[in-house]
Amino acid sequence: MSKNKTKLNLNRRNFLTGTAALAGVAATASVVPISIANANHTPLNENTKGLPDFINWKDRSALIVHSNKGIETHRSAIGESLITPNRNVYIRNNMPTMTDDQIGNRKNWKVSIEGVKNPKTFTLSQLQKLGHTTMATILQCSGNGRGFFKHKPRGSQWKTGAAACIFWTGVPMKTVVDACGGISGDSVYMTSEGVDHVPTGLDPKKAMIARSVPKKVYKDAMLAWEMNGVPVPNAHGGPLRMITPGYFGINNVKHLGKVAFTSQESSVKYMKKSYRISPIGKKGSQYPSCWEMPVKSWITRPTDETGTVKAGKVQIVGVAMGGTRKVKSVKVSVDGGSSWKKAKFIGPDLGKYAWRQFVFETTLSSGKYNIASLASNGKDKQPELRMENRRGYAHNGWKDHSVNITVV
Amino acid sequence: MKIKSFLLIILFFAISKIHISFADEAKMTKGLEIFNETAGCAACHVLKAAGSEGNIGPNLDTVAGLNYDSVMDIVTHGLGVMPAFGEDEILTKEEIDIVSFYVANSVGK
Repeated sequence: MSKNKTKLNLNRRNFLTGTAALAGVAATASVVPISIANANHTPLNENTKGLPDFINWKDRSALIVHSNKGIETHRSAIGESLITPNRNVYIRNNMPTMTDDQIGNRKNWKVSIEGVKNPKTFTLSQLQKLGHTTMATILQCSGNGRGFFKHKPRGSQWKTGAAACIFWTGVPMKTVVDACGGISGDSVYMTSEGVDHVPTGLDPKKAMIARSVPKKVYKDAMLAWEMNGVPVPNAHGGPLRMITPGYFGINNVKHLGKVAFTSQESSVKYMKKSYRISPIGKKGSQYPSCWEMPVKSWITRPTDETGTVKAGKVQIVGVAMGGTRKVKSVKVSVDGGSSWKKAKFIGPDLGKYAWRQFVFETTLSSGKYNIASLASNGKDKQPELRMENRRGYAHNGWKDHSVNITVV
Repeated sequence: MKIKSFLLIILFFAISKIHISFADEAKMTKGLEIFNETAGCAACHVLKAAGSEGNIGPNLDTVAGLNYDSVMDIVTHGLGVMPAFGEDEILTKEEIDIVSFYVANSVGK
């Protein structure tokens, strides 16, 4: 077997140096309109005005509706108890959510494993007998924070709420690989493919959500069938979703149909063209893909959403994440970044892929304050400013994420 | 004399307005045709005014802050599975202008 020499370009800092651009895509082939998808949940029987039918079980008051397919969690609603409740979790789906009818019997959902010594296809039932683990990870859309970019990139104008911290239950990917005799050949990537494009009738090259990530990710990845203690809702990629801890949401492929260890990145549009972090005005597959999430934090309370604050003792609360490394520390500023003081982590440590809550107790007299947080994972810390890029991805600058409050 | 000039000015503006309104109406008619047929937007998007029920992309009646500029930008450059109708020369600039005008003036109606 010939030695594969494909190497990964993990140098995010050099992304601005590329120049070439890919040719555009051809027109979409024949498209079959399908009706709005139903979800495997029942409505809350509360105010669901403005929520699409497929997620009418969500908490409307916790959500900002950018469109029926782009729904953000309010800053103050991502989970005061660390984990984000399913009813508050944001929605960002590239393909229509699959319906119960399209999914069929969930136990019989199939996923094939390729690029291993003994390629196999497992049903969900078989996976559930193979292994079992639970892990908390952060799900965050690559474009979370896009709403702060001044050049108004296309796409939902997320601020902080295209992110959630979730308990996933499923089987470790490593267990699945071991059951298939191990990885074969000299693969470089783990490529996950969804099947949610199938009912649309669209060309898979343009519509399939296939995401290649560095092979090493499989060691911590899992195939999840539960999300915060219930079967993964259709709207969040059930019955089976790939979880790639520390990697942006798009890599956590929904409605998972195949995982393959490959020597090349997938050639579909969602890998080759979309989700590339390129300079404004440029695009192309030579730019870094949205993979590892950077270190980031933001204040969740008090904010402009929570109203004016009473003078005196104030608890400033927020969340901090380290990306693919454990978050080490968070500092808080109440004067727009002129001075910083260390905040205290609170609540349980759910591992390096979960976020941690922090609190900073201070005394504020009446007036206006700009409150910011700055996290570090020991290797990197949040920059002050955003990294300007064409599509408004991977924003972790602390300044834009700060909040203005009024103390009376 | 002054009254005559005044009436002439009123008449001028009235005719201009009628002309604009005819032009807008023609643009809306043509825009609907592009939306439903030429570009096939209807296959992927709900837009009540066009009677379309596609469910690939967002329901256009629900998109916050949608306007002529944002529609033209996204139709020209594409997004995700949505083709870049301008960059890839699937539609002419004039067609993109017309369909953007149509969508921006049809959402929520």
